[in-house]
Amino acid sequence: MESWIEFGRGPLFRITFALMLLGLLRIFVLTLTGVAEAYSRNPDKIVNWREVVKQTIAWLFPIKRMWKQRPAYSMISLFFHVGLLLVPLFLAAHVLLWKRGAGFAWPAIPQRLANDLTVVVIGAGLGLVCGRLLSSGARKLSRRQDVAWPLLLILPFVTGYVCSNVAVGPKAYDTMMLVHVYSADLIMLLIPFTKIAHCVLAPLSQVVTAVAWKFPAGAGDRVAATLGYADRPTWVKESRAPRSVMRDEVSTK
Amino acid sequence: MQPLSEQERAKAFTSSKKPEVVHRQRLPVRYHVEDFDVGDRPQRFLQAFAAVLKHTNYRLALDHYVRVCAQCARCAVKCQVYLATGDARDVPCYRSELLLSVYRRHFTISGLLRARVLGDPGLTDDSIQEMAEAFYNCTACRRCYFECPMGIDHGLITHLGRYLLSEIGIVPRALAVSVREQLVGASGNTSAVPVPALLDTLEFLSEEIKEAIGVDATFPVDQQGAEYLFLPAVSDFLMEAETLMGNAAVFRATGDSWTIGTGDFDGINYGLFYSDQVLEHVVKKIQAEAQRLGAHKILIGECGHASRTARFFYPTFCGGKDALPVVNIMEYTHRAWKEGRLKLKAGAIAERVTYHDPCNIARSGWIVEQPRELLKAICSDYVEMTPNRRDNICCGGGGGTVSIDEVQPYRMLVGGRAKAEQIKATGAKYCVAPCANCKKQLRELVAEYGIDCQIVGLHDLLYKAIVFG
Repeated sequence: MESWIEFGRGPLFRITFALMLLGLLRIFVLTLTGVAEAYSRNPDKIVNWREVVKQTIAWLFPIKRMWKQRPAYSMISLFFHVGLLLVPLFLAAHVLLWKRGAGFAWPAIPQRLANDLTVVVIGAGLGLVCGRLLSSGARKLSRRQDVAWPLLLILPFVTGYVCSNVAVGPKAYDTMMLVHVYSADLIMLLIPFTKIAHCVLAPLSQVVTAVAWKFPAGAGDRVAATLGYADRPTWVKESRAPRSVMRDEVSTK
Repeated sequence: MQPLSEQERAKAFTSSKKPEVVHRQRLPVRYHVEDFDVGDRPQRFLQAFAAVLKHTNYRLALDHYVRVCAQCARCAVKCQVYLATGDARDVPCYRSELLLSVYRRHFTISGLLRARVLGDPGLTDDSIQEMAEAFYNCTACRRCYFECPMGIDHGLITHLGRYLLSEIGIVPRALAVSVREQLVGASGNTSAVPVPALLDTLEFLSEEIKEAIGVDATFPVDQQGAEYLFLPAVSDFLMEAETLMGNAAVFRATGDSWTIGTGDFDGINYGLFYSDQVLEHVVKKIQAEAQRLGAHKILIGECGHASRTARFFYPTFCGGKDALPVVNIMEYTHRAWKEGRLKLKAGAIAERVTYHDPCNIARSGWIVEQPRELLKAICSDYVEMTPNRRDNICCGGGGGTVSIDEVQPYRMLVGGRAKAEQIKATGAKYCVAPCANCKKQLRELVAEYGIDCQIVGLHDLLYKAIVFG
């Protein structure tokens, strides 16, 4: 089992990490080029850049904004995100792995803080899942991935916590470590292809929306022409049905 | 907010359509739709979707939104429709997902692969019916946009959803008929006002001003080379005499040149509500009239969507930075007052006054403080609604739904429920709503809820406060 663990945190980690970086880079660049292309399609270059920047920054650091609505949910979500970012990057054991594998590293956070944050992530993740499953309205909104993702994300935290803090037998330890390593690899592999891609795309949302409202001149007519309405614009009644079928459609009951 | 009672719910969601019409059109929505080809709608919807993606910029937004939407439902707290119904189907991100899932399934590689593996049949007629209902329950007010951590503009998705539906013939008849009259009808405007009737109205209004305040304030018509070409919502000529008299009085005081064009005197643009093609053609109609008269600026009257479409889409469709500037009448009046060219009498309005921010001019932060400053200058008891400004709640008749008479119970009990409570809480005698659509909706609302408040335009009150030199 140890060799599997070594493979998971060695070569497989390198591959999935590289794929994650390349995948995220790809969609980030694709979005940026999409913005540039859409922007260049229209002579109207008037964009309220100040507003775009202001809203982008406001949502990257939403501390002030989030408390105004649904404060409990906001707090859980915020702590979940903070823990998700800090622990994998700054846990002393992870930093050591980087030092060993890549030859460079950065300062680690204290183990006590890492432990507390891990518990917070696990609790917040379970809270988010329960929130979705216990409310009938939220259940209706939720796709399978919306429930699966928090569970998948807390899996390496649960197993990592057990390995670091719970006295278990060597076999159980290895099993936990195996799940820890492979679940983390799986997460990295999936990130660019799922909603977690928001980790790099969210800062582009405001500019995407601003540019998307710039409708290219003549596009409406070209759409109509493509659909065969070139001589029959969509607002002309005759393009839809003979006038004779129009009659009073209001029920007299 | 008071939740809907069962009785109210039944009333709001009851359709007045004949069952045979619903059956014939296979469309159980509350609004009337002209008969259209009901055959193979999913296929035609997808063809329209493909054509739209090919010629527009929507793919950029759709690609982005399907990647980032977490379905977190923070948007729900800002939606007055959801707050009234409590129905998960009215949460903005659920509504948007109806269209995003079609895009993901039919226009992305992952969706196509998934369909192969899992055998997903794709878009169904039921989905189209659900979209046809959901996208017209939304008033496209864009309040939820500011609450989405992912920056998803559900108003844009509603606009696109309605556009696609219109391309297969699903458009509320009230909107389609008005647009047809405006673009290819004899009168050339959405209310079918003939030019002689317009001229009679303007003459009558001038006489009224003379009689009421003893000032010669005329409505110039077809003046060549005027500084401003004035286009209010055409319904103002039928229903908002005081607003128009206030507009004329302001120009009388400032002395600037302005004109109404008989070739196009309607600022209404329902294209914003359902079709990019209509949107562009109506904007270009304004451009043609401005060119005919050699006007230097476009001046839009008190109307939210008319102002937004002209301001933000005139440059888009008429030459970018070379396009004529577009100004809203409230901006114009505010500037004239600031420059000292318009004198207002302080305390002219003694009754309590509040201000309703029309979504289409306030949400972007364009016109927020200007009318407030003017009102504070003339009112001795001005109060704010809560929330207000960019966060203000939609009147409940936005997105063109106010023109759809058959959904009136829904507008009253669901869409406008929050707004009615907001107005009532101010205790105001006057509620200023500088938008033709908002005015109609709010007047119906105060009548429905028995609120003692008069709905007026900004210039209705300014008219009583202008000091002529």
